[in-house]
Amino acid sequence: MARKAKRDLTVEQQLARGPIDLPFLALVMLLTAIGLIMVLSASYASAMYNLDRGINTEGDPLYYFKRQFGFAVLGVIAMFVISKIDYQHFRWMSVFVLGASIVLMLLVFIPYFGRSGGGALRWVKIGPIRFQPSEIAKVGVIMFFAAGLSKRNSQLGPPKKWSKRTFTGRMAARLDRVGLLELIPYILVLGLVLAIIMMQKHLSGTILVAMGAASVLFASGISLYWFLGGGAALGALLYWIANNTEYMTMRLTIWHDPFSDPRGDGFQPIQAKIAIGSGGLLGVGLGNSRQKYAFLPEEHNDYIFPIICEELGMVGACVIMALFALLIIRGYWLALHARDRFGTLLVVGITSLTAIQTFFNIGVVTGFLPPTGISLPFFSYGGTALAIQLAEMGMILSVSRQIAAPKAE
Amino acid sequence: MQDPNRKPRRSEGKNNRSLFRRTIFLMAVLGVGIFLPLVAQLYRLQIVEQEEWEERAADQQTQSVSVAAKRGAIYDREGRAMAMSATVYKLILSPKGVYGAVDKEKYKKDGELDEAAYEKALYDLRKLIVDWVSDDLGYDEEALWKKLENTGNAYVELYTELEEEDAEKVREFTSQNRITGLLYLTPSSKRYYPFSSIGSHVLGYMGQTETSGQNKVGKAGIEAGYEDALSGELGRVVTSVNGHRMQMISGYEMYFDAQNGYDVHLTLDERIQAMLEQTLAEGIESYEVQNGAFGIAIDPTTGAVLAMASTPDFDPNDWNSILSDDLQAEIDQVEEEQGDEAADAAWDKAWDRQMRNRALSDAYEPGSVFKPLVVAMALEEGLISLDDHYYCSGSKQFPGLEKPIRCHNRSGHLDQTLTEAVENSCNVALMEIGGKIGAETMWRYFEDYGLKSRTGIDLGGEGKSLFWSKEEFTGPYGATSLAVASFGQTFKITPIQMITAFASVINGGHLLEPYVVQGIADGEGNTVFYHETKEVRQVISESTSDKLRAILESVVANGGGHNAYMSGYRIGGKTGTSEKRDELDNDDVICSFMGFAPVDNPQVLVLVAYDSPKRSAPGSNYTASGTYISGGNIAAPMAGHLIANILDYIGVEKQYSSDELAKADAPMPYVVGQELSVAKGTLQNAGFDCRTVGSGSTVTHQVPAAGVSIPGGSQVVLYLGSDAPEAQVETPDLKGLTPTAAKVKLEEKGLFMRATGVASGDAAITASSQSVNAGTMVSPGTVVEVRFVSTIEYGDQ
Repeated sequence: MARKAKRDLTVEQQLARGPIDLPFLALVMLLTAIGLIMVLSASYASAMYNLDRGINTEGDPLYYFKRQFGFAVLGVIAMFVISKIDYQHFRWMSVFVLGASIVLMLLVFIPYFGRSGGGALRWVKIGPIRFQPSEIAKVGVIMFFAAGLSKRNSQLGPPKKWSKRTFTGRMAARLDRVGLLELIPYILVLGLVLAIIMMQKHLSGTILVAMGAASVLFASGISLYWFLGGGAALGALLYWIANNTEYMTMRLTIWHDPFSDPRGDGFQPIQAKIAIGSGGLLGVGLGNSRQKYAFLPEEHNDYIFPIICEELGMVGACVIMALFALLIIRGYWLALHARDRFGTLLVVGITSLTAIQTFFNIGVVTGFLPPTGISLPFFSYGGTALAIQLAEMGMILSVSRQIAAPKAE
Repeated sequence: MQDPNRKPRRSEGKNNRSLFRRTIFLMAVLGVGIFLPLVAQLYRLQIVEQEEWEERAADQQTQSVSVAAKRGAIYDREGRAMAMSATVYKLILSPKGVYGAVDKEKYKKDGELDEAAYEKALYDLRKLIVDWVSDDLGYDEEALWKKLENTGNAYVELYTELEEEDAEKVREFTSQNRITGLLYLTPSSKRYYPFSSIGSHVLGYMGQTETSGQNKVGKAGIEAGYEDALSGELGRVVTSVNGHRMQMISGYEMYFDAQNGYDVHLTLDERIQAMLEQTLAEGIESYEVQNGAFGIAIDPTTGAVLAMASTPDFDPNDWNSILSDDLQAEIDQVEEEQGDEAADAAWDKAWDRQMRNRALSDAYEPGSVFKPLVVAMALEEGLISLDDHYYCSGSKQFPGLEKPIRCHNRSGHLDQTLTEAVENSCNVALMEIGGKIGAETMWRYFEDYGLKSRTGIDLGGEGKSLFWSKEEFTGPYGATSLAVASFGQTFKITPIQMITAFASVINGGHLLEPYVVQGIADGEGNTVFYHETKEVRQVISESTSDKLRAILESVVANGGGHNAYMSGYRIGGKTGTSEKRDELDNDDVICSFMGFAPVDNPQVLVLVAYDSPKRSAPGSNYTASGTYISGGNIAAPMAGHLIANILDYIGVEKQYSSDELAKADAPMPYVVGQELSVAKGTLQNAGFDCRTVGSGSTVTHQVPAAGVSIPGGSQVVLYLGSDAPEAQVETPDLKGLTPTAAKVKLEEKGLFMRATGVASGDAAITASSQSVNAGTMVSPGTVVEVRFVSTIEYGDQ
């Protein structure tokens, strides 16, 4: 299809053809490229010695890298394709994305599609592709929330009139006044998604979806009391769980002192710290990690960051964290400059999700946070997750296209 | 339309401001804030605690394998290797490797494992190994199968000391069958002692200790004492390993070279050591010695130990078994009579005995061997002179004692000079001399002779002497102690102390530190340690020492040590018959002799002692073979012979007196074809007698042949006419014959006698042994060496 001349386009279409944000794109590409290199380095030993019992690499040292590279290419293509889409279309798409993710998440429980991993049923396999539907749910929820909450201003119009004669009417009026009423659809949707993810015993996924949604709610102007109340309630719940379930208590004990069980649950945290600590300031050099040789489990998945610390040292690790920080800051900058509220909320949601995921992953592997399984965006091995991540970046880039160019001074 | 009383809850502007503020807030928190604790955490791990984690990393990522250092050899003074290490091999089997060598993937058809084919392949591989190892190396087949089934184990030592020959077979087998990773060799080393038991107590042996683990370390003698020098330093190979403790293919390796052990050069001479051990063994057999024997030979001018032996001994190649057949027979008897438990106890006791170096560790009462030391003290202090006379009535009364202390000669030695008193080993005379010396002075000499302290010999396990307390000895009740101490009784010193002190008496008064290690050299032969003679102190003067040597020569030439006399050598010495007072109900004695030669320039000093020769009957003073039990009759002949052998070996020229010279060997001239009268003249000039066989005037045959050395004065045989010597003659039995009778008996047969041992004194001398056994057929003209001993009963105490 021949490209239409600019004069034939509507204003909307013209806006959607604006330039994408190059700094953001550069950061994404940089992180993806470094991530690929680190996957190659970290997975090399595991692939060569075929250490993962679940995967037969046939001794091909590039086994993981090739797959990750393939998905990265797909992801980058997806990113550009998505960036071309006028993001206003995401409003109606959000319902379908969310709906599809819910369906897919339910598929997990159907034996034909469902695949367990790490003791929990959270994978689904369709054809050759194996992925976690909760990844899609994260972005689905954010899109749905952003789409819905962006209309708060325009929807307000004339306030709804509640009958003051009936009790329900008075009650509804009061709820409306404190802002609960408008939240109800979101609470219901989020509750449903979280419940399904919880059923997959996917605590980290639950946390991420909730945090992503919360960031959108927060930005959209929801009363802070809800966050204070919700935060307090969540804190109390976590405190109760930590002290009253044996499993969590044990996890926290291991977190405080991994050497209480150095061969069991403490093994991975100890190995991670050995990797990080032995890297020192400058690291042992790219490709020279020793901990990847069957010492540190999941060294190319969730625990890739300790390998980075070992090979590139604190300097390298800080550079990578700085790239993440720049990406996140640029993301919020794009959100602030977005053309409309929907764009802002969408970018805030995706950026926050990426930030939180980064924080949790690095926090866990360095022992700053109690252990839970969260992967590092752009870095952890996992093709579909990377592709989805890049697709999300594509959405942000799509938003960036419609930012008005700064006036020349 | 809007309710004027109701402010709109939110305006668009306000909402957008809120969105802006909150997004800025999120940017600050999520874009910057969250990274701060993460950087702090990295700083803690990578900078603050870096060393700790790095150490942990090194611990688990590397594996250190030690590399054995070659243990140094032990050489005797002539450079003969007495202990050496040779490479042997450990044979290692990896049941895990064998199990893993059969690849399951190969036996998969369409993803399904063909169990039968797989099992068979595994069985075949195992059987290949089992069959070969059990057939070619003799390993127990059943045990091997069991080991192979333990598939978790990757390291099973099948053999620890496989010789090169077997190792070569293993290499061939494994390379042919491509199983070098499953059954393989690792070098290790084994200690060899080429001379078996010779010098075993000095050399020691190798074994495992509580701390040495798998390694063998020296456990006695030089092997233990010089462990650090001999063992060298272990090398290490540090290799990188992965999380499964498998070596990394591309990993780094670091080598720390093993430092080979140093060679130790002993003062010991293997030949002299063998002679000494032979002497001890012969004496034990001849005199039915019940408690073993010990002996030391040193160079009295340096303190270097030439030989040191104790019987029973052991074989360091196989130290964990009883070497002596007699001891083993005793154990077997105990086992038969009292069962296993008693046998085990007997075995332990026998083992303890054979491992004990009595010459170094066990104190004994030196007895009369000590007397020269007392005489030397008195001479040195100027308390007596060579011209003094002593009268022995057979006993001496001491105030406070019920019975007088008796001399071994109960009828008394009567009047004697000082030299004669020593020749007679007279206790009464020595008690008198001791009295002159006094307790204080004698005590000081005990210390000066080094008897109160260890000699400092460089061998572990040196024993301690046992004395009265000084207060007791020098106090008012010490008189009897002083008296008996004067003839070497009631205190105990170690043999090494005795010989060291004795050396100072004959070497000019120098108390030397005895030693067995002459030097230590590294692998290239560079000396890293050389032992210089260490003089502890001058005990007596040169002149006193000269006097003592003369007295001691006289003891051998004329006195109680006469049985040690060997013609051609000037031997000095002193006998001793020590009581074992601390063993009650026991009249056993230790018969000993301390001798040195040549007298004017002593090169070797020998102590030989036999513990408890068996009495023919309780209370009898004779052995079953009729030898009087005393140092002079039992130890002296053995020691004399040993000294002569040693002097021969070290190349000391024989010095003959004119009497002896007549008997010295001379070559037989050629007289065949000469007129009888001419031949007789030739022979007379050469110092030979002759007898003739047959009739005629011309010598047709001669015995011995020309050029054969025979002792001077021998009667050669000349054949005249048609008579010829017989081809073979039977050697006669000479035992108990006097020298003259023996010579006649041999010459009747056309044989010649070379007399050794005691040579003068005639009637009291009898043949004790002959070099060719009675009844052996030999050619005429053969020279038979006959040893003569004196049958005079040399009492001493």
